[in-house]
Amino acid sequence: MVDGVAGPDDRGEAAGADGAARSPGAAAAGASRLAARELTLAYDDRTVVRDLHLAIPDGRITVIVGPNACGKSTTLRALGRLLKPRSGTVLLDGEELAGVPTRRIAQSIGLLPQSPTAPEAITVADLVSRGRQPHQRWWQQWSEEDERAVTAAMERTDVTELADRSVDELSGGQRQRVWIAMALAQETDLLLLDEPTTFLDIAHQVEVLDLVRRLNHERGRTVVIVLHDLNQAARYADHLVAMKEGAVVAEGRPGDVVTADLVREVFGLEAVVIPDPVTGSPLVVPGSPYAPPATGAAGDASVPGDTTGTADTTGPAGTADTTGSRTASR
Amino acid sequence: MSTTAPTGAPGPEAAARPARTAGARPAGYGLIRRGRGSFLLHRRSASAVLGLLVALALICVAYLSVGDSFVSPGRVVAVVFGGGTGADQLIVGTLREPRLVLGLLVGPAFGISGALVQTVARNPLASPDIIGISQGAGVVTVGALTFGVTSYTLLPYLSILGGLTAAALVYVFAWRGGLHATRFVLIGIGFSIALKSVITLLMTKGDVLVAQQAQVWMTGSLNGRGYDEAAPMAIALAVLTPAVLWAAYAQRTVSMDDDTATALGIRLNRVRLGLVLIGVVLASVATGAAGPVDFVALMAPQIARRMTGTAQIPLLTSALTGAVVVVLGDLLAKTLFSPTELPVGVLTAAVGAPYLIWLLIRRSGAGARAAGGK
Repeated sequence: MVDGVAGPDDRGEAAGADGAARSPGAAAAGASRLAARELTLAYDDRTVVRDLHLAIPDGRITVIVGPNACGKSTTLRALGRLLKPRSGTVLLDGEELAGVPTRRIAQSIGLLPQSPTAPEAITVADLVSRGRQPHQRWWQQWSEEDERAVTAAMERTDVTELADRSVDELSGGQRQRVWIAMALAQETDLLLLDEPTTFLDIAHQVEVLDLVRRLNHERGRTVVIVLHDLNQAARYADHLVAMKEGAVVAEGRPGDVVTADLVREVFGLEAVVIPDPVTGSPLVVPGSPYAPPATGAAGDASVPGDTTGTADTTGPAGTADTTGSRTASR
Repeated sequence: MSTTAPTGAPGPEAAARPARTAGARPAGYGLIRRGRGSFLLHRRSASAVLGLLVALALICVAYLSVGDSFVSPGRVVAVVFGGGTGADQLIVGTLREPRLVLGLLVGPAFGISGALVQTVARNPLASPDIIGISQGAGVVTVGALTFGVTSYTLLPYLSILGGLTAAALVYVFAWRGGLHATRFVLIGIGFSIALKSVITLLMTKGDVLVAQQAQVWMTGSLNGRGYDEAAPMAIALAVLTPAVLWAAYAQRTVSMDDDTATALGIRLNRVRLGLVLIGVVLASVATGAAGPVDFVALMAPQIARRMTGTAQIPLLTSALTGAVVVVLGDLLAKTLFSPTELPVGVLTAAVGAPYLIWLLIRRSGAGARAAGGK
């Protein structure tokens, strides 16, 4: 997409405008329609998440991050009632999710699973229109409202031109946008996305996340995304939740949460955290990669410096030195 | 490229984009409004249904015309509408028509049943005669024959009982906190093999005459059957019509993967159970009436789907395809090796078995990723 390859300068401006527009919204923080209380989740007899408390701030983008198998996707599934809690509850507007008819939940919460599958040979418009399911009855299979919602969802995700194409023949990025369009057509206030960028190249990842951010921004939708890329999480989250071994380790604004200590604690990785040269959000740069032992200390230090090359060199270089010494001291 | 609006900014330019005049309604669907109701109608499916109806009508006339003595189509039509000579009435009305009517009921029952089971299993291999439902009906029917039950009014009900029991067992064994599509099919195949051996056992132990009777039943035949068998079939179809209408709608919703369907507010397990139940009852009743007419339930839904090009298996098209396959099959079975008559099941198997092999070869290759299940 053209949007996906906008130059860094454009992006900088966008981020600036974004930040300004965002601050009034921040005042309304605190409310939370979706929350988890003492949530314990298990598959068969393997407990994945234990005693989890989580409140999803309304109108914000919450990103859940963590290493593989930390229970982040499992938590999202439970928030979207795809997984029944072993104990504890998920509350939607103060009501226990387990007691709410699934159709009514579907009118409030839209959810896109990690690898959704469509029936063979389904067309784009047909798939997107399935998102209207919770608003339809067998005797009311299509309304003006459905028409409007589907048209809007397809326009928003830029898939209108693909309407009559078969989903099978689309590229990964296009297909993901079609799935998001389906979830949008559902017109829910809450949207849960399970690793929406997996299997996409970097341009398409950015495209999808930008789309999500725009949706949140324009409609004030509450979005929860599970991501495994910490930098993307820090860049797009209003509220970041870091999980490890089925528990929340830290949560809050990315700028407050993402530190070298957190990265070490959650991912077990030595890293440097610098300000993102474009957005100013925290940027995690992993510590020294493997290098042949023969070269001296100078060689080691130069590597992290290279990774951040184009940014202003004073900040990262300074931190890189401390990491270098820390790694050396272990 | 540099003039492109930044992605993050909300833009009025979105409104300037040309709107799609046709609207976002899925391509190929027409809309029918009746008062507060609105129904989506797939146009190509509608033409497929019309085409099949015409073809079926022609096949029916041919069916009633051809036989030991030829009755011209004109005279056939006269008899059907209550006229004709005494001789024609005997040949067409009394001898051929009941068997045709049975075929016209059995075919759609198998067609719908196959469509529903394949939808739930998300697998074109799944059909009542592959996953043990027909065999379950068979065990009970052959068992009843062996133990001297000859009442033809009782047999269809016993057959339904057998089919339902087999389906329940398969369902329970395939259940693990939810229905796993692939396990459902594999366990079904296992059950069908086990039940087949029970049928063989019953036939070897039973009286020779009964065994022969059972043997004919087992191949699936319309020969020597008519209104006695057609009556329970007609009742079952009439009773199930509202359920089938519901199924035609519900089917659309279960064609997505489990998580997506649940996220869209569908009570997946209930809907699936409902669909399987309807499918099993239809297959069992049809099996009770005509024996397991092999592969009709397997083939008809897939043929129908190729005709309509829809994402889900079209139910009505599948029903009519089933009717065409059974009636045309029986017509050929009657006339191909005349005066020897083949059971229609032999003919459908002759066409169906190669199709099954082709399906297996195709799916074990590139198609395997679409196999469904987790």
